[in-house]
Amino acid sequence: MSARRIVVTSGKGGVGKTTTTANVGAALAKRGHRVTLIDADIGLRNLDLVLGVEKRIVFDIVEVVEGRCQLRQALIRDKRFETLAILPAAQTRDKDAVTEQQMARVVEDVAAMCDFVLVDSPAGIENGFRNAVASATEAIVVTTPEVSSIRDADRVIGKLVERQLPIRLIVNRIRTDMVRSGDMMSVDDVCEILSSELLGTVPDDEEIIDTTNRGEPVVTVPGSRLAAIYDKIARRLEGELVPFTNLEEPGIFGRLFAAFKAS
Amino acid sequence: MQEFASQVPAAPPDQKPLGRAIVVTSGKGGVGKTTTTANVGAALAAAGARVALIDADVGLRNLDLVLGLESRVRYHLLDVLEERVTLDDALVRDKRSEHLVLLAAAQAREKEDVDTERMTELVRALRERFDYVLIDSPAGIEQGFRNAAAGATEAIIVCMPEVSSVRDADRVVGLLPQTMRPQLIVNRVRPAMVRKGKMLSVEDVNAILRLPLLGVVLDEPALIVAANRGEPVSLDAGSATGSAYRDIARRIAGENVPVAEPAPEGGMFARIGAFFRGRR
Repeated sequence: MSARRIVVTSGKGGVGKTTTTANVGAALAKRGHRVTLIDADIGLRNLDLVLGVEKRIVFDIVEVVEGRCQLRQALIRDKRFETLAILPAAQTRDKDAVTEQQMARVVEDVAAMCDFVLVDSPAGIENGFRNAVASATEAIVVTTPEVSSIRDADRVIGKLVERQLPIRLIVNRIRTDMVRSGDMMSVDDVCEILSSELLGTVPDDEEIIDTTNRGEPVVTVPGSRLAAIYDKIARRLEGELVPFTNLEEPGIFGRLFAAFKAS
Repeated sequence: MQEFASQVPAAPPDQKPLGRAIVVTSGKGGVGKTTTTANVGAALAAAGARVALIDADVGLRNLDLVLGLESRVRYHLLDVLEERVTLDDALVRDKRSEHLVLLAAAQAREKEDVDTERMTELVRALRERFDYVLIDSPAGIEQGFRNAAAGATEAIIVCMPEVSSVRDADRVVGLLPQTMRPQLIVNRVRPAMVRKGKMLSVEDVNAILRLPLLGVVLDEPALIVAANRGEPVSLDAGSATGSAYRDIARRIAGENVPVAEPAPEGGMFARIGAFFRGRR
């Protein structure tokens, strides 16, 4: 049976596509699935950095497409999760180096040997985006609760609907204190504007910046709040109905009250 | 500026020197190109310069939102390039400053629709009428980036203190002609994280990029609020971030304003060492 082929996209850059791809992929692998991550951001690759495998790259996707190496030579196996692999993008080429048909072919070849293929799309809606979407059977749209991100997500969702792809939303970098003070849109607001099904909500957490800089997916950090959130997203992808995490950190009164009740 | 004017014979009115065209770019998306373009442009205009902002992110425009001008946009860049309307029809005047205008991007079109040569001519035409033309580039290094850079004479690179942003910025600098003399803005710095060794410092970033430092902007929730409301913080006299943007505008205009880095307490070399050991 062929794998599920999921493109992770957003329109706007810097909202967390690559971090989401790495962590959702790692969470799925941790749950025992065979997962391959494809970096479709040719020329500006970063998925390798986020996973800390940048020094192990020998071949890249353009070389696979051009027949200069075998697919399995280009795949890098993760050292933490043995069922996780990554197909890196080329750094010194541009997005026009690959056509939609070539990309679709690679994704299908990869899909023949695993359970999930996650394709990390570049920002924008140009060639790189079209290539990333080429062979996907479903889409994850990542957005932050900011007007510009939502506007771009809306534009991308329109393009995905044209392709009849099922779409689910991850609302990323939520700052609960700002939502509470009315300075940031809530998850409900975002879902209503984009009228899409919600796959996950992820808070803005310094831990992500730190783990990304170190090339360690946050999913590997024991006891991490974010690791639990990505695990839930992975379970929702499996089809399980998992309640959404309450991102509100209990305030001082909440914690006092809880301690009071417990005693 | 005064001194310069006295040394050079005044140009006849019809030969006014051309304005400067500066592309604001980054490679990586979401690092703050649009916010930077809006705030630096507003600050330059507030200081009396005539400024035109071009949103080159065709298909995913946002500069109009950040400036709060979205309801005034009637025509866009492609209407002008394809000669359906004149430049004057399409320029949107800012609510706050009569010196500031915006040329919005088309939302329902593609970057591939932009003719690079026509774009270059358009930027040149704007330079005849404005002191500064700031071009907000889309993310990436595809056609949209090439269009944005086409008519520019200078470049501002916006970079966040994160390895992926530094890597993409490095790639973009390599693609720009050296004559553009790219200058660096390090954006969204969190000094507390830098102090804890969990974020690269401005010096760490520039040890890799080695560009003239144009400014440092801290990560502040106020920026998200301002962008959501469509009000540039650079016009807020009480805002620290606003003052960082005003300083950047003054440096662009040629004033000598020292860049104060929020200094972390020691450990810089250790962090650079760790960065290179981990990454190269």
